[in-house]
Order: sequence, then structure tokens, then C-alpha cells
Amino acid sequence: MTSTASSRSSRVGATTLLTIVILALAWFVGFASRLFAIVRFESIIHEFDPWFNYRATHHMVQHGFYKFLNWFDERAWYPLGRIVGGTVYPGLMVTSGLIHWILDSLNFHVHIREVCVFLAPTFSGLTAIATYFLTKELWSPGAGLFAACFIAISPGYTSRSVAGSYDNEGIAIFALQFTYFLWVKSLKTGSIMWASMCALSYFYMVSAWGGYVFIINLIPLHALALIIMGRYSSRLFVSYTSFYCLATILSMQVPFVGFQPVRTSEHMPAFGVFGILQIVALMHYARNRITRQQFMTLFVGGLTILGGLAIVVYFALVWGGYVAPFSGRFYSLWDTGYAKIHIPIIASVSEHQPTTWVSFFFDLHITAAVFPVGLWYCIKQVNDERVFIILYAVSAVYFAGVMVRLMLTLTPAVCVLAGIGFSYTFEKYLKDEETKERASSTASNAKDEKLYDKAAKSVKSKNTSDGEEAQVSSNVRTIIAIILVIFLLMFVVHATYVTSNAYSHPSVVLQSSTQNGDRIIMDDFREAYHWLRENTPEDARVMSWWDYGYQIAGMANRTTLVDNNTWNNSHIALVGKAMSSNESAAYEIMTELDVDYILVIFGGVIGYSGDDINKFLWMVRIAQGEHPKDIREENYFTASGEYSTGAGASETMLNCLMYKMSYYRFGETRVGYNHQNGYDRTRGYEIGKKDITLEYIEEAYTTENWLVRIYKRKKLPNRPVVKETTIPIKGKKVSQGKNKKGVIRSAKA
Amino acid sequence: MRWLPVLLLAVSIAVQETSADRILVLGESVAVKDTHSNFLNSVKERGHELTVRAADDSQLALFKHGQPIFEHLFILAPGVQVFGGSLSPNEISKFVDAGGNVLVAAGSNIGDALRELAVEHGFEFDEAGTSVIDHHNYDKTLDSGDHTTIVVSKDQLINAELIVGNSAKLSPVIFKGVGLIPGKTNNLALNIVKASGTAYSFDPNAARATNPALAGSRMLLIGGLQSRNNARIVLSGSVDFFSNAFFAAKTNSANPSVKPGPSGNGELAAAIVQWVMKESGVLRVKSVSHHKNGEMVPPAEDYFITEDVVYTIEIEELKNGKWVPFQGKDVQLEFVRIDPFVRVTLKNNNGKLTAAFKLPDVLGVFKFLVDYRRVGYTHLYDVQQVSVRPLWHTQYERFIRSAYPYYASSFSMMAGLVLFSIVYLYHKDSPVKGVKVLDSEKKKN
Repeated sequence: MTSTASSRSSRVGATTLLTIVILALAWFVGFASRLFAIVRFESIIHEFDPWFNYRATHHMVQHGFYKFLNWFDERAWYPLGRIVGGTVYPGLMVTSGLIHWILDSLNFHVHIREVCVFLAPTFSGLTAIATYFLTKELWSPGAGLFAACFIAISPGYTSRSVAGSYDNEGIAIFALQFTYFLWVKSLKTGSIMWASMCALSYFYMVSAWGGYVFIINLIPLHALALIIMGRYSSRLFVSYTSFYCLATILSMQVPFVGFQPVRTSEHMPAFGVFGILQIVALMHYARNRITRQQFMTLFVGGLTILGGLAIVVYFALVWGGYVAPFSGRFYSLWDTGYAKIHIPIIASVSEHQPTTWVSFFFDLHITAAVFPVGLWYCIKQVNDERVFIILYAVSAVYFAGVMVRLMLTLTPAVCVLAGIGFSYTFEKYLKDEETKERASSTASNAKDEKLYDKAAKSVKSKNTSDGEEAQVSSNVRTIIAIILVIFLLMFVVHATYVTSNAYSHPSVVLQSSTQNGDRIIMDDFREAYHWLRENTPEDARVMSWWDYGYQIAGMANRTTLVDNNTWNNSHIALVGKAMSSNESAAYEIMTELDVDYILVIFGGVIGYSGDDINKFLWMVRIAQGEHPKDIREENYFTASGEYSTGAGASETMLNCLMYKMSYYRFGETRVGYNHQNGYDRTRGYEIGKKDITLEYIEEAYTTENWLVRIYKRKKLPNRPVVKETTIPIKGKKVSQGKNKKGVIRSAKA
Repeated sequence: MRWLPVLLLAVSIAVQETSADRILVLGESVAVKDTHSNFLNSVKERGHELTVRAADDSQLALFKHGQPIFEHLFILAPGVQVFGGSLSPNEISKFVDAGGNVLVAAGSNIGDALRELAVEHGFEFDEAGTSVIDHHNYDKTLDSGDHTTIVVSKDQLINAELIVGNSAKLSPVIFKGVGLIPGKTNNLALNIVKASGTAYSFDPNAARATNPALAGSRMLLIGGLQSRNNARIVLSGSVDFFSNAFFAAKTNSANPSVKPGPSGNGELAAAIVQWVMKESGVLRVKSVSHHKNGEMVPPAEDYFITEDVVYTIEIEELKNGKWVPFQGKDVQLEFVRIDPFVRVTLKNNNGKLTAAFKLPDVLGVFKFLVDYRRVGYTHLYDVQQVSVRPLWHTQYERFIRSAYPYYASSFSMMAGLVLFSIVYLYHKDSPVKGVKVLDSEKKKN
């Protein structure tokens, strides 16, 4: 007895040690592989949104939480201003502020920027652990370890969590996985405690990312599916009701969310399921207490009336304005063409485009191929919690197909299911001789199997009874195992390659290479922002397309008109209108908005394709949405209906402010020996009009590679000079000279 | 850079206050001293320093080391083709941009230099050799027969006392010279003296006038301009208008409705020259303040929405060389965020203009804007930018009445739960039901 007990405990100890070591390694690898950007460039905040998050965090650390919560940012959205505290998910800032505070009180004095830069890689390890627990609850600890390792390096998740990519998603995926783990746990135990923990974790998720809506719809969907499948249990009732009530109240504490959980349609399904659950519970309670006849009349009749009433009440509330109808973003998830027509500002973001097949493979590699296997296993051996992962996977696959950005929510599901797939297959093919012994031993030691959940147990007994394993020879097993291991190795190689090459560019600094392979760093963005910071008045207002708003605010510390927090469409449309109008019309708008400087991104010299001319059509569309009388998209096309700035470009196009600002003086330059003057490298043709003169604005600064061009709005001329004289002056102008004698016409002339 | 005009204004004001203005007077010859002595003396009598030169003098200069050496420039030389020295239409434009004021008097023998100068300032003179002709309003005694010496009645003057003086009392004035028109895009032009409807501009020696370039009341006899830096320019088509001869003349209009009498040239010229030399119609902001009602200083950070604020601006006007409180009653204050949210007329209390109003329930970056443009006055423009922010999370009402039912409900709920727990925990069910409960408990496990 004692010897078996000790051996068992030592085996448990070894397993625990192994688990901890593997998770620690996953954490480490996940962290290390996200540091490419820092090694190559420097410790810098990437992209656009992270700049705002960094600025906000900095503000919070400097002024304290309450000052941050009530921060009215007068430098953004001039002259509207932005209430930052009420329009931001503060979880990210609070998390890094907390880490900074802890480090500070431990006397590790680090700059808040370092905390921000390294936050996402650190959280990738926590995500791995959360994924381990989730998968463990769903399947087995072995699958959990696989899933943890997958998520740690999966490119789909790395893309949003490399060092410097200081964005909500970095911590939100951890919160997402952890919430799901706690939900599954509370569903399995039916305990209020776990449900409350789940609600708390959900609260953290709500404070961190707008994607929390996915959770508050997926969990009710799961509950509803369980009810429909006849899997209702008191555990479900306890966990869902306590989760829903607590989660709703908690989520309303986030200022940005406010009353949305009770006032918008996106949150109504959760409430509906809450109601249904009460009815079902009542039904279960009543079933044993009344006759079948009474039961049928009560519930068939009652349910119809209640259901009808609920729908009527819902529509009445929507009609009355008490509940907001579904938002445009929601519709665009179902109809991919919706955004393009109705809300161009959403469609204009490249992240919101539908996903291509390639990017599925690119982001998920072998896991994309294996996860259907895991899904199949889950469906075959379904139980309450596996219904959850099935629904999660199916819905996430759909959403990932609609928007590139939502690949991020698919990745965890894919990793979990691929983990299950691999684990199950390996379990089958690596344990050869031992299996039968194990099967009998598991049967005898049933009560010791607390490590494995009930489902896994039944699986095994079922398999042994089917006798499938006996049919596979050991050679085949070895070959299959080796092939699978090779796949895994290739996944690691691919993940490293993708992380290093595709997802580790700060996009603030551009990099290209010469023919010899030397690296060229193009630091135009920071050059321009630095120029703005040093050479313009403190309160100068800079107009640019909204993409660059956060960077201008963060790096140049100047007032911006619009930024990446695209909350006010009409203000953006006004800027779009200024960009797409001719100079004099644009000048009026700019005067109205007190614009001092205008910043455009121009890639024609170096062939940078993400420049403003390529985005210009969206500016026109957004402007047209608000000012259909002044801006018409078709005016910007060539006669044959193409979008072009080259020969054949329309008059409107050639005279609009954006064209003029981008190509001013460009006609005099030559980008290569074998090109004409004014050859645009990005578009690959010569521009349509080379002699551009500016009347109302003047060039203030152009960076080394012409990537950023800054213009200054001129003041109105002091004197209204007559440009076209009606009475011509015949005499020629006499050149100016000092001490020359004048000429006076004789009176009798 | 943005303070430069203000600075220049301040400098020019300072100069005006402390010392006499320096004026460069250019004539076709120095003889202008004698032919226009009445006019020039009237300026001199007000304590200014006149430098009279011929327009073709090779030593002429307006700037020394980049600084203007005169405050005003009077050109009483119609026939200038080319200015002497470093002077040129461009140089004079620079002088205007630097805040200098210019009076130009032309005539029928107008030279290209003056026409270019007019074009630079948004006006066009008619060609050399042409004159303003009016067969209905010529002066019967002074005119030589080609009807170019015309009598201008007071209803042709601009309705602005600051520029033309009290025009109601003004006698008709005599004009002889070339016509001009404002440029099409010149929206700063002041039509100081319009031509009458029957006037036209043509070569008086021509046998027949066909298609005159300028005709009717669209044509100006004297045009004015206040540039955006508040420099003032007056272009007169007639140099004789300022001459001793016309000052002393008696009018005898061909138009029977205009009574003969002494000409008003002297008075009108005096008013115009005072305006152009910025001795009248000059305003300045002495001080601006804004604060919450009941406080004395502006808030340390931002205003909050719907606060009551008081705005005060002190405006002064230059009168007889002294800054006195401005008495205008029509100054308006706008509270602007792209569009004005509040527009109030300021109450004038001896030069101290105040307004008290409630901030709108809209947050954003607002401007207290006083943009006072009146014909004859300098452009008064003052912007104070402030932020209006929403309330702090602690500033909202803590307990609101409509929420009392909810407070009651939550407390009763809590009490109910406690009661229910006690009853549930310490109440023994009848045995039959107890069995059922146990059954369901078993199922759950």
C-alpha cells in the first residue's frame, strides 16, 4: 500500500513538475519570440493606437487614476475635445500603471514606456496558462499543454502582442481565455463561487477591450444551446444566473460601457437567455408537481404568450428609443458589403476587410488544419462544456472570415482544438503496449482519476471496447507520430519566421534593404513629428487624416483635429472634405477649424503604398457621406472610371488639396535614372500635373524620403491685389535700383 | 509671426503717442509745397513732420536698415512713371505691409507707377489721358469746357463719419481727374467718393466717347482701403482736389439742384487725411478678462459646462492723440466652437464692455471672440481660448430623488435575503418534502 501510494505521489509530483516546466517554457518562448522588434529596432511603441494608449498611461501615471478618469483632452478632436476617461477601456492603462507601481514600490525604477512595451509579451505567457486551464477543463491536461504551447507562439496572436504593440488586445486575449476557463469551471461545478470569479474576470475583460461583447453573447449562446439540447441542469442555472447578474452590474462600472448592457441590442440576447433560463427552471420544478395535461397547457400556452410578449416589448423599447437598435458595426459582421455603403469609416480600415484564405494559413499554419480534428473529437464525445468550445470555434471561424482583425479571437479556439487534436492522436499512437494495462488499471482505480475528467474516462473505455487500437500496427503508429512531430516542428519554424518577418515592424520606422542586403532605416515619421515638436508653436493645430492623429499627439505633442478614435464621423468628414476640395474651399474649412499645419503622408518617392493618395478615395467617400452636394466620388475618377493621379486624371482630382500637397514640387524631381520627372513609384506612372502652385498654403517641411510632408496654412493676404486687370497697363515694369532718377510724365503728354 | 501685426500696431501707436509722425510728401516737383500749401499746412499744424520731395528724386527711400523711416506717405504726383531712388510700387506695398499709410492723388496725366500701385492695393485707375466727365454736374465757372471739373454732392460720399467727417453739413466739393474702380475680388474696398450716375471716364479730347471703360456710380473718384494689418490707403483720382485753388474755390454746379457756395474740399480733405493718418477711427484692446461669476480670476484649469461666466473687455479709442474709453454700444461677444454657441451684445460702461452668460451644456475648446468690424474703425479682433469640460465624477448629485425607489428596493432585497436565509437554514420541512429535496441534491452530485 505505502509503496504504491508513494510511487503514485511521485508520479503526480513528476507530472506537476513537468507541467510547470512546460508552461514556464511556453511563457519564456512566447515572451522571447515577441522581442524581435526590440532587437532589430529599439524599445519603441508601435503603430497608431498604442501611441494613444501609451500617452494615456503616461498621463495616468503622472496625474493619478482619478485625474485620468476625468481627463478632458483638449488637444484631440480640436475643437470638440475628447473626454478620455469616458471613452476608453481603462484596463490596459490600469494594468500597466499597477505593474509600474509595484515595480516602483519594490525599488525597480523603470520608465513607464518600458512597462508598456513589454506588457503584451508578458501577458502572452498568462494567456498560455489560461489556455492550459481551459483546455484541461475541456479535455485533458496533456491537451492543455499542447494548447498552451500553441497559443504562446501562434502567429495569429503574436501579431497583436509583440513587444511595443501596446494595445488592448494584448491583455484582452488573456482575459478572454481566463473568463472562458472560469465559465467552464463554474458550469462543471455549478458553484456560485466560480461563477462569481468568472464575472470578475469578465469585468476585467470589459475594462480592457470592446471585444467583451463576444463573451456576453457566446456564454448565453452556450446556455441556450444546452437548454435546447436538453442538457439543462441546476448547475447551468446557478452558474449562468449568478454570472449574468454579477457580470452585468460589474460591466456597468466601466464608464465607457455605462448603461449599454441594459440599453443596447447587442446585450439583449444575454438578458433573453436569462429569462428563458428562469422559465426552464420553473418548468423543471413544476414537472414533478403537476399533471402532464396541466403542464402542457401551462407551458405551451404560457410560453407562446410570453415569447410573443417579449418580442413585442423588445421592439416597443427599440422603437421608443429605450434600447438602441443594433449598431452598424454589428450589421457589418453579417453583411460584408454593409459597411462599405453605410459606414465607409469602418470599411476604410484595412483590418476590417474580409480575410483571405492565405491569411488563415499564414496566421495558424498546421493548427488550422488540425483544429477541425479536435472539433470532430469534441462533437463525437460531446458533453456540456465541449458544446461551449464547439460554439466558440464555429462562431469565431465565421467572424474571422468576415474581418481580418477577428482572426485574433479565432486563434485561441484553434489552439485549444488543435491541442485536443494532437493530444488525442498522440495518446492513441504513442502509448502502444501499455495502453491495455492502463485501461484495466484505470478501470480499477476509477476513483483516483481526479486528474482526468469524466469524459476522458468514458472515451477510453469506449475505445478499448471498440478495439480500434488493435488494428493499427506499431510501424504505422511510429510513422504517424514522427510525421506529427515534424508538423509541430514546422509550426514552430513557421511561427518564428512569421513573427520575425511580418509582425515585428514598428511601422513608425520603416526598413528596406539595398541590393547588397544592407539595411536602410527610414525614420521619416519621427523626423517629421520631431520637426513639429521643435518648430511649431505649442498650441499649433495640425490637420491630417485620422490615421496619424494618435502619433501626432503622442510624438509631436500637438493638437490634432481627428484621430484613430473615430467617434465623430462628421468631424472626420469635414477633414476629408478639406482634403478633397480645391484650395480655396479647403482654406475656408481650415480657417473655420483654426488649422495651422497640414500633414500628409506621401510614398511616391520610396514606393510606400500606405500613403494618403492610396487612402484618398476613402476620404472622398467619407466626405461624400456627409456633404453629398460638394463632394462626389465619380468626379475623382478618370474618364474610363479608374482611380488615377496620372495622365487622364480628372480636373477635380488634379486640383484637390490632397493631390497638390502630395505632388507639390514632385514634378521637378526624378526618383531614378530610368524614370521621367514626376514618376510616382507607388502608383507606377507619371503624375498628371507637374506644375503645381499653392496659393493658400505653403510648404513647411518635407522629410528626407518625402514620406511626410507638412504644409502651413497661410494668412489671408494683407492687401487684395488685383490679379486680372480690366484696364491693362501698357508700360513695362522698371527694374528696381538704388539712387536711380525717376521719370515723370509731362503734364501735356 | 502671428504677433507681428499686433506688435507693429503697438509700435505705431507708441510712436503716435510720443512724437509727431514723419510724413514723406512726393510731388511732381517740390513746388507742390506751394500749390498744396493749405492742405500740407493743415497737417503740419497738427504737429507732424513733413518731408517734401520730388517723386523722381534719386535719393528717395522708405526704409533704412529694413525699418520704415516714415509713418505715412503722401503721393501728390500724378505723372510718376518711375519713382526715383529705391521707391517703386513694390516698395510702397512693402511699406503698407509694414504698417505704413499711403495717400495717393492722381490726375489725368497718371503715370504707370501709380496705376501699378493701385493694382497692388486692389484698385485700378483708368488709363492716362482720360478724365472723369460729367455733363450734368460740371462746374460752370471753373470748367474749361470739356466738363471735367465736376461738382460732387454729399450723397456721393461714403456713409462713415470717421472717414469723411460730418457729411450732412459738408458743402459740395470739386473734383478734376481720373476715375478708378475697385478690383472684383477686393472685398476690403471703401467707396469713399462715388461718381454720379451720369459720369463716365474718357479722353476729353476725343471727338466721341464710345464704350468708356468706366462709367456711372460703379466708378470711384476717391477709393480707400484698410488692409488686414490695419494700414490705410486712400487713392484719389484728383490731385487738384487737395490744391489751394480748389480749397478756395466756390462751386457753381451745372446741376440746378446743387446750390452754389464755397467748396467743401478743405473739410473733406482734412477728414480723409486724418483717417488715413490713423488719427481717427483707431481702436485698441486695453485688457481682456474672463472668470466665473463671483470670482475674480479665471479658473486654474478649465471651465465646467453650464457655469456662469463674466467676460470683460476694455476698449480704447484714439481721439485727438489721446486714448479715451470707447463708447460704442454695438460690440458683440461670441462664444465659438466652430459655430457661435452664445452671441451677446456687450454692455458698455465707459469703455469697459462686459457680458455675463451661462456656458452652454456642450464641452469642447471654445473661444471668447470679439470681432468688431466697422467701416472707418480699425479691425478689432480678440480671441481668448478656453476649454469647457464636463463635470468630475464626484461633482454629480450623489442622491437623486427619482432613485429613491431603487435604493429602497435594494435595501429591502438585502433584508429579504437575510430573512430568507434564516428561514431556509433554520426551518425544518415536513418529512415528505425533505425526501424530495434530498433526491434532487443527489442528482446534482
